[in-house]
This record gives sequence, C-alpha cells and structure tokens, in this order.
Amino acid sequence: MIMVDDVYKRYRSDQGVGKWVLQGVTFTIPPQVNVGLMGRNGAGKSTLLRLIGGIDTPTRGQIERRCRVSWPMGFADGLQGSLTGRQNAKFVCRIHGHEQDLPDRLAYIEDFAELGDAFDEPVKTYSSGMKSRLQFGLSLAFDFDVYISDEVTSSGDAAFRKKASEAFKKLTDRAGMIMVSHGEGTLKEFCTAGIWLHEGKAYWFDKIDEALKQYKQSLQP
Amino acid sequence: MSLMRSSISITWAVWKALFLREAVSRLSAGRAAWLWILLEPLVHLIILNVLFGFILQQIVSGIDGGLFITTGLLGFFMAQNTALRCMDAINANAALFAYRQVLAVDTVLVRAALEAVLLLISALVLLLGLGLLDYKVVPQDFLLVMVSFVALWLTGLGLGLVLSVASELIPEVGKVAGMIFRLFYFLSGVMFPVSAIPPAYRDWFLLNPLVHGIECLRVGFFPQYHAIAGVSLTYLLGFAMVTMCLGLALHVRFATRLVAQ
Repeated sequence: MIMVDDVYKRYRSDQGVGKWVLQGVTFTIPPQVNVGLMGRNGAGKSTLLRLIGGIDTPTRGQIERRCRVSWPMGFADGLQGSLTGRQNAKFVCRIHGHEQDLPDRLAYIEDFAELGDAFDEPVKTYSSGMKSRLQFGLSLAFDFDVYISDEVTSSGDAAFRKKASEAFKKLTDRAGMIMVSHGEGTLKEFCTAGIWLHEGKAYWFDKIDEALKQYKQSLQP
Repeated sequence: MSLMRSSISITWAVWKALFLREAVSRLSAGRAAWLWILLEPLVHLIILNVLFGFILQQIVSGIDGGLFITTGLLGFFMAQNTALRCMDAINANAALFAYRQVLAVDTVLVRAALEAVLLLISALVLLLGLGLLDYKVVPQDFLLVMVSFVALWLTGLGLGLVLSVASELIPEVGKVAGMIFRLFYFLSGVMFPVSAIPPAYRDWFLLNPLVHGIECLRVGFFPQYHAIAGVSLTYLLGFAMVTMCLGLALHVRFATRLVAQ
C-alpha cells in the first residue's frame, strides 16, 4: 500500500525557486493494483514517480510506503559508465542485500538481458537499447511488492519488447505496478486503475479507460 | 511479502557495495592505475629529495633527509588526498542516488575508507623499498605513528565531509580548496622541521592542524627527533572532531538537496 498525502513539489534551480510541479496530490494505491500514470509532457509524471520511489522528497506533504518499492526503472542513470554490466549488476545486488545469492541473481540478469559478451564490457560502450535491457533485467531480479516503470516497455527492439511485456505480465500476478507510458495500448494491457495528472493535481480513476478518456479530452484544444 | 531489512544492515550492505565499486573503478581507471597510485608519493619524494635532500641532512642531525621527507609527505597526503577525494564523492556518484538506499554521506565515508587503505598500502610498499636500500624504516614508536596517521586521516575525513557539502552547494568551493591545499603543502612542514621556523612566527605556524600530525608522526618515527613545545595531537584530534561534527551536521541538514538533481 502506498499513501500519497497532500504532496507539493517544486524544484530549486540556479535561477531560483521554480514553479509548483505538484500542488496537493493525494491518493492511495491499494496492494496488487496496477496503475497507469498519464498526463501531458511536463505534467509531473516522472517527478511523481521519483517521489514514490523515494529518491526525491516532497517539498510539502507525505508519502508512506508500506511495502517494498523498486527504484524507478527506465531512468538512464543508476549505471556507472566506466564499470562493466556485470560490475554494475553486482553493485545493485549488494545494496539490495543479496550478497549470499549473488551468483544466482547475476545469472538471471545475464540471461534476461541477453547482452552476450557485452555484459563484461564497460556500460559506456552500450547503446541505449542495451542499457535498458540491462536495467530491465536488474529490476526484475529482485522481489519488490511494487514496481515503478517510466516508459521502460518502449525501449529495445521488437523481440526484447515482447519478452519484456511477457515478463511484465508475469510480474503483475504477484506484485503491483505503477507505470508511465504514452502508449494507450500499453496502459490498457497492463493497468486496471489510472491516475491523470493535470495542472499539478492528480485524479484517481478505478478504471483505466475512464482515465484515458479524461486525458484525451484534456488534449483537445 | 519479504522481510524488511533493518537500517543498519542496509547501510552496511551499501558501504560494502560502494567500497568494492570505488576500489574497482579506482584501480581500473586507465592503464595500470594501481601503479600510479604507488608512484605518486614516490615522484614527489624524488623531486623533493633532489631539491632539498642535501640541505636537510645538515639541518636535522642524525636523520636521513629522504626518510624525513617521506614521513612528511605520507602524513600530508593522508589528510589532503582523503579531503579532496571525499570532496568530489557526491558529484562522482550522483548516478547512484537513483537507489534510495544510497545516501550522499555514504559515498563520502566510503571514499575516505578506501583512500586510507590505498595510502597505507603505498606507504608500506614505499617503506619496504627504502628498507631494502638499507634505510632505517622501522619506527621507534609504532603506536604513535599509527595514532598520528589516524588523526590525520580523521582530519581529512572531517574536511572532506564539510567540503563535499560546501562544493555541492557552491561549486567554486572546490577550486579554492584545491588551491589552499597546494599552499598548505608548503606550510605544513612536509620538507622542513618546525624548529627551522623562527620562534616569532611559530605560534602562527602551529595554528595549522596538519603541522601537529606530521610532527607527531616524526617523533614516533625517529628516536633522534624532538618536537618543539606546543605540538599536540589533542589539537589535531580536536580539529578533526569539530570538522567531522560540522560535516555530518551539514550532511543531515542538506540531505535532500544533495541527492536531488
């Protein structure tokens, strides 16, 4: 269960304090529910994911996580370019407390990412598709209760996308998911509930179709 | 649902993982990076020996000039390298804050630990090498040498904690800190004994905490060496404690600002 209570967020930049990205966002995500997050570019989708993932803190308000939440998958960071894919994977396993079963996890990640010999090459030599393969494999190697995904299914080639979406399907049987995607099909395929972000507010819909309808209406001039 | 881990076990896991990661990237950065880590003090040593070695042999009677400079350099590097490496820790590890287990302060503490390990190894290699060349490299008071090293390291850690936050908030701090350390290279008694300073200026000179650590290091090393009055490890340790508390407080105060992008 994730409770977001009256969350405000604005960023500080070199030009001073920015404008409010989120203004009083409140909702509760029940366990095992897959939520699609939608909104215009710059509506604060990634910001909200970062807040839920705990890698940034709200300016005001509170977020309570009563479960194991993944880091936001699909961000380009979290990998160090000068280290190999394997070394990066080891690091992530270790900070998640999997020192004991490290070889098993590594084998899983290597197998899923299908990078071949590139798994032992520095990450900076990877293409963006290869990077997202690695990141996807990393995030699936751990048992989280809720997975956070930022456009992760839209990366990689067709074969990998198919594999990723099958893995996602299997995930949704045992865990919840919060995902951002601009693809209507993707959202409908994976999510039951929806959140529509609009002008700093979040609107919760129990049915993803209604959320999509609202979202599409807002895009009309 | 899987078991929740305790805060301590998470922190410990993060430290271990960061340490190994830092060590790997440190030792595999560029060609034969490990060799350069060993060579750096050696190069300083050779240059300083050529410049000052023959003068020093006459100033401090009974102590070899080369060994004298070696002890000064190792002590100074312990504080300087730790401080400067720690200062860049947050920036260099920014990508890792995507995992909420990793805090800014973790990266600084781990870098300090790695720096100490690397410097102790290169000190050991250097002294062994000098030992093979028939220098008297066994310290007369091993405990005092180690305590001085630890005190200098803690000073570097304290400065590093403060500077890491300061340079994230005000980027210019990093450049200024580098310049100041270069100045203190000449003001910390690395290549001359404090007794060579005219008494009128000694009080000023002794305000620099690094001088105290380096002097104590030498007292522990050479039986013939006598520190001047006013040199105290307590002063250095006090300075280290104050900067460490200040640095940790800054890390707590700005925890979210440091991690935010």
